[in-house]
Amino acid sequence: MRISRTAMAAVGVAATAIVLLAGCSGSGDSGSGDGTNTYDVYALLPQGTDQPYGTTYLPAMQAEAEKDGIKLTITNSKYDADQQASECEVAVAARPDLIILWPAVGDTVRPCLAAAQAAGIPVTVTNSGVNEEDVPLTKGFSGPDTYGQGAASAEIMCDITGGQEVGILVVNGLTGNSTATTRRDGFADTIAKNCPNVKILAEQPGNWNKDDSQIAVSEMLTSVGADKVQGIYAADDTMVAGAIDALKARGIDPAPLFITSIGNTKLGNPLVVSGELDGTVFQSSSWDGEHAIDLAYTVLTGGDAKDQFMPSVKVTKDNASDPDVAPEW
Amino acid sequence: MPDLTRLRAVLARRTEGRAVVLLIAVLVAAVAFEPVVFSSFQVVLGRVALIGLVALGLTAVILLGELDLSVASTLALSGVVMASIPDPVLGVVAALATGLVVGLINSFFVVVVGINSFIATLGMLFALRGAAFVLSGEEPVRLTNIDAGIAFGAPLIGPLTPRVLLFFLVFAALQVFLSRTRIGREFYAVGGNRQAAIDVGIPVRRRLVLGFLISGVVASLAGVINTLERTAADPTAGSTVLLASFAAAIIGGVLLNGGRGTVLGTLIGALALSILQVVLTLSGVQVDIQDIFVGSILLIAIISDPTRLRASVSRLRDSLSRSRTRAPA
Repeated sequence: MRISRTAMAAVGVAATAIVLLAGCSGSGDSGSGDGTNTYDVYALLPQGTDQPYGTTYLPAMQAEAEKDGIKLTITNSKYDADQQASECEVAVAARPDLIILWPAVGDTVRPCLAAAQAAGIPVTVTNSGVNEEDVPLTKGFSGPDTYGQGAASAEIMCDITGGQEVGILVVNGLTGNSTATTRRDGFADTIAKNCPNVKILAEQPGNWNKDDSQIAVSEMLTSVGADKVQGIYAADDTMVAGAIDALKARGIDPAPLFITSIGNTKLGNPLVVSGELDGTVFQSSSWDGEHAIDLAYTVLTGGDAKDQFMPSVKVTKDNASDPDVAPEW
Repeated sequence: MPDLTRLRAVLARRTEGRAVVLLIAVLVAAVAFEPVVFSSFQVVLGRVALIGLVALGLTAVILLGELDLSVASTLALSGVVMASIPDPVLGVVAALATGLVVGLINSFFVVVVGINSFIATLGMLFALRGAAFVLSGEEPVRLTNIDAGIAFGAPLIGPLTPRVLLFFLVFAALQVFLSRTRIGREFYAVGGNRQAAIDVGIPVRRRLVLGFLISGVVASLAGVINTLERTAADPTAGSTVLLASFAAAIIGGVLLNGGRGTVLGTLIGALALSILQVVLTLSGVQVDIQDIFVGSILLIAIISDPTRLRASVSRLRDSLSRSRTRAPA
């Protein structure tokens, strides 16, 4: 029996089609309503269950969406600006009632915002802000006051260093990401203003990643000289955990050093309790996810949409075990 | 009926069969699950233009029996070069020149030094990506004239944006080059049987250099287009394009070992993959799972390659008939 070439190819691709159809019908991150869905919303996020923050952000977002009768389609571009731009094009083409945008890279979202505006789709921003000149293209922002978070962490650093001449290393977030930029600015500006005795010896991006941060700190310790370093600031707890690991790997005890970060996460809070981390700033991922929908709903129902900022609560050894600053992510 | 026989003979020589089958399967899935993709075909066209452009350049190199893994990094570096130069025309020229230089370097390693193209271009992939990061200062470089960038993303003729028009121009140019010019047809000879090509007097080294130049310049053109549309050059750009571009070329019937394939097949492959990706994004399927789809389709495409299939089927038949004759009466 001669099996023709075309037949074999057809069988192969038909099998793929079956997989496709099965996959398509079984997948989807859409929020489930109970038949009373009134709004179609696309959420363009740069993280999801692949990061600790996203893992607790998403359920709060989805719960609030269900409550408000919003059908959510969620994308995760993994901080790839190109990917998010493509997802935005698809979202605009789908003509939803609103788009919630969490910019992966603030500098490249203008085309997305312009396209959404041209299509008459309102856009609200969550977690990371857009550039100032792009704000008129959005309907509102909800999320952490990232500049204030950097400033709060700097204030803790100023308190604990108490006027001493101190050299510190700085680990920033993903380059180009607006949270990374504003936290850095908040920290650096406050240090310069409140405690110029603290000097930044070197800074590198840790990309919000523990391993990357460990490598960056290790390299900075080598290039600057570990004996010159008396403190470290990292833009989030995940990265500060990596920084502390880098210190321990060199046999340096983190406890006497001045170390601060932001987040008060499940990684960071125990480090504050144990004394390795001197202070952090509480960021509630569930507040973030919930208020993203809250703001979107206000815009959708024609309410007065005002920017919603998360309070920046300082967490040090004194209050680290308090239940109201219990870590969420 | 002589006409049918001739038609069958012509069709049997075509290599695009699998791409057509995949396209039909994807269209069926689209109709079944996300018919909105048909009204948002500009998004699909934009996707085709991005994946397809890089894939066209790759096709030229693969036909020669070589590989160019550095295309995504060339895209990113060219974009950064362009955005770093305030004068737009000079920027575009510099970006295309970058692609030319990359092509020359790649061909130097492969043709002069004699390194396997997989290894050589793999090394260039990392080197160029690093160069893009260094040149950009590790953050996105905004265009000096952002409005020009946004205008570039707007439709020019009907629903066709400049990106799509440029893609079709390059497609037409390559199609004519490969099928109607002597040099282009020699590409098939070089890829099909390099020794025979040398014996026959084809300047094989010059053809290889030309192939890598085409790949480099086309990748840098993709970088220029990408930067204009995003209004900023991101040093991490292009990371999602490499897999899809390769898949488009292979699905389109381009043989990995060289000597067989057409740009038409690559176009159909790019079209099928773009529709697939847009349908999956509209369905809320995450990028990782989309990659599983694309990767699986690529594997099936390689396995179902007609020559390989025929060889494995005949080997199977031989071993079966051998075991049958060995069986006792």
